[in-house]
Amino acid sequence: MSFVLVATVGGLTSVGIYLITSRSLGRIILGFALLGHAAVLALLASSGPAGSPPIAGTERSISNPLPQALALTAIVISFGLTLFLLALARRQHVLTGDDLVEDDLEDRRIARYDDSPDTSIERATR
Amino acid sequence: MIWVLLAAHIVGIFAASYSGRSSMRTGLLVAAIAPALTTAWATTQLLKPNDTVYEMVWVQGLDLSLRFRVDSLAILMTILVSGIGALVFVYASGYFKPSADGGSHFPASLLLFSFSMLGLVLADSIWTLFIFWELTSVSSFLLVGFKNLDVDVRIAARRALLITGGGGLALLAGFLILADASNTTVLSNLEPISGPNAGIAAALLMFAAATKSAQMPFHIWLPGAMAAPTPVSAYLHSATMVKAGILLLASTSATFEDVAIWKPLGLTLGISTMLWGAFGALRHRDAKLILAWGTISQLGLLVTLLSVGTPKATFAAMSLLTAHAVFKAALFITVGEIDIRTGTRDIYELGGLTKSMPITFAVAAISAASMAGVPLLLGFAAKEAAIEAVLDLKGTELWLVGGAVIGGAVMTVAYSLRFVLGVFGPGPQTSVSPRRSAMTVPAVALGAASIAGYIFLGSVNSIVGPAVVELDEKANVYSLLRWPGFTPGLLTSLSVVIVGFLIGYSVSTRTEGANAPTAIGASFADRSINEVLTFARELIGRIQHGSLPVYLATMMTTASLAATPFVTAIDPDSLRRWDHVLQIPLGFGVVASAVAGAFVTTRLSAALTLGAVGIGVSGLFALHGAPDLALTQLLVETVVVVGFVIGLGRLSRRFPPVGGAWHATRMAVAVLGGIAVMVALIASASDPTGLPPVAALSEGAVEQGGGKNIVNVILTDIRALDTLGEVVVLATVAIGIMALAKSPKPEGRKAAQ
Repeated sequence: MSFVLVATVGGLTSVGIYLITSRSLGRIILGFALLGHAAVLALLASSGPAGSPPIAGTERSISNPLPQALALTAIVISFGLTLFLLALARRQHVLTGDDLVEDDLEDRRIARYDDSPDTSIERATR
Repeated sequence: MIWVLLAAHIVGIFAASYSGRSSMRTGLLVAAIAPALTTAWATTQLLKPNDTVYEMVWVQGLDLSLRFRVDSLAILMTILVSGIGALVFVYASGYFKPSADGGSHFPASLLLFSFSMLGLVLADSIWTLFIFWELTSVSSFLLVGFKNLDVDVRIAARRALLITGGGGLALLAGFLILADASNTTVLSNLEPISGPNAGIAAALLMFAAATKSAQMPFHIWLPGAMAAPTPVSAYLHSATMVKAGILLLASTSATFEDVAIWKPLGLTLGISTMLWGAFGALRHRDAKLILAWGTISQLGLLVTLLSVGTPKATFAAMSLLTAHAVFKAALFITVGEIDIRTGTRDIYELGGLTKSMPITFAVAAISAASMAGVPLLLGFAAKEAAIEAVLDLKGTELWLVGGAVIGGAVMTVAYSLRFVLGVFGPGPQTSVSPRRSAMTVPAVALGAASIAGYIFLGSVNSIVGPAVVELDEKANVYSLLRWPGFTPGLLTSLSVVIVGFLIGYSVSTRTEGANAPTAIGASFADRSINEVLTFARELIGRIQHGSLPVYLATMMTTASLAATPFVTAIDPDSLRRWDHVLQIPLGFGVVASAVAGAFVTTRLSAALTLGAVGIGVSGLFALHGAPDLALTQLLVETVVVVGFVIGLGRLSRRFPPVGGAWHATRMAVAVLGGIAVMVALIASASDPTGLPPVAALSEGAVEQGGGKNIVNVILTDIRALDTLGEVVVLATVAIGIMALAKSPKPEGRKAAQ
């Protein structure tokens, strides 16, 4: 296994985790995209040594085609996910004017032992 | 037939809940049908030799089945459960005001209990028994908490549920050990077991029985359960449900006869409960609580007798159980009637009811006399058997158990007399409202049963006798005697009655310092429960704090730490430095762009760095020999960058600023996560299980797939359905994005800029 590839996967994962623990939805989406890259590269790194493109009948040793087929699906799905998240972020901007991930107010109320009537609906329409 | 009767109960529950919507009384009378039918059927089965098993297998291999057994004991218990049940339903239809609103769950819940208790007494598989045992706890909770607008009632119901429910958990654990040790789940096939596990199982089952049958110190739920309407108290908390623990002890005592702790544990529980319960009955001034504490005392006596374990004591216990169900249900029913017709249950406010409520007085006096063991009543014959059984013991056991039982019997006479004198004797002339026949008829029936049981003692013997033989074969020589002759036992019981009478008379004429004792145990239990709830609330406040980034960081850290074992699996030899020297600049460029993307402050530059990462990654694909991936990645990346610009373009140019301390934590979590992934990845390559099937794939691609590009053939032929699914996902995403983008702004909201 190529150490350079492994290190690239590690670096992308780190940055991805750093970004998804952010409060800005834009950064979180960025983090998801990077984690997607990391996963595809990890799949590739574990597929065996590099080789020539997997075309049947080639004389030289070819790379392992099976993980590539899986990776292709992964790329497309993470592409769809990223775009959908972007659409959600845009919608949130339309509704609230920002792209921040708020704390769950219901959970905060439980922590405070707050039994007063629910105000979250009013908050959402504010 | 069992299936039909159980099904009749279930149908009855729905029917009662439907017809109870308009009127409580209709609902109760509809609910009475199923127990009445069951009683009728059980009566026809009396005196027949009976041993039928009904089984509905659920999971064969796990011995999970609904298994019921109809034998003499089950028939006796069925008659008690369903017979008293039917009477209580009729009684309840008079207990609640005729104008009582419908729409309550009371009739259905009471029938649910009746159903659960029927299943419990018929059960022959330990799992069946467990399920119905728990059902009785739940239905008891619903019934105790019936007046749920009152906070004290809710607390009492909660206490009862948690104590009996805790016992249910112990029962499950005990049954698991028992099933494992005795290799069967069928109650009637249990063999004696021994060993350390047997001791644990015995203790667990004893605990379960103690919670259900209100043994010290778990008796504290029973007085609280008196907050229920009186029909419930008469039915669940004196006649039937509290006997479940007794039945459990009776049917498993043969299994635990070799276990050393079984007998001392049972005797300790039973004797202390018997004496403390009787003492409580002498102190309280609420007539219903006097009866409740009397029930606790009687349950203690039953546990004592079963723990003694001689055939004679077992026989006495089952006779007493039968007699107690009859007279205690009658007593509760009369107290309920008094409560409804006078508006009070305080024995210091009641008095002179002999003239205004003569029928009730007669029933109460007869039943109390039966409880005290006064001759010519069923209770006398049963009490006599109990005293004979303990006088048969030898040595220390005679002095200890005999002394305690006789002492308890004396106190029983005393509180029985105190009850009758307090409620009906001289005192203020309490005014009463008119009589309701629906309440009188069941009372008279149960009161008459105490007399009839004595007159037709032969029939009682032919019912109780075979039932006891189911528990202990050596008990077949015993029978209840109408008049035992002048034996030491009779002389003892007569002196017990006389002494108890004197004590009871002196106690009930003294009224000073007669405040009701405070329930220390109950308030301690409630405080403990509240502490646990507060702790749970605080714990949830900490764990479920509502911050998404913190949740994610916690999960990531946990997952990273879970990768620790992989460190030992790393084999450095499996690593190459690189496959191609160009991987170095590309890999470096990818990570550098990603890091840059994390720290740039404007959204546009973040989108551009993502593009750079994507192009770098596609270069890595190309180097690895994956041109399809590289091309796809390039295409996708272009669209994603455009998407970022469109999606976030209307937001402010810069990201919001990031806070300090949290920032460092995020860094640490991120680095840890990266290392964990690297470790796991290297470890995965350290022990390859085989070579990639490249040759087979390339051959198959040409011959079967008809294509040379192996990756394409895999996607379109081998994984064709997956690829179709992928297309569907993309189409769904497109529709979703369209819907989100086209949705209008909600009315009355301003989009901030």
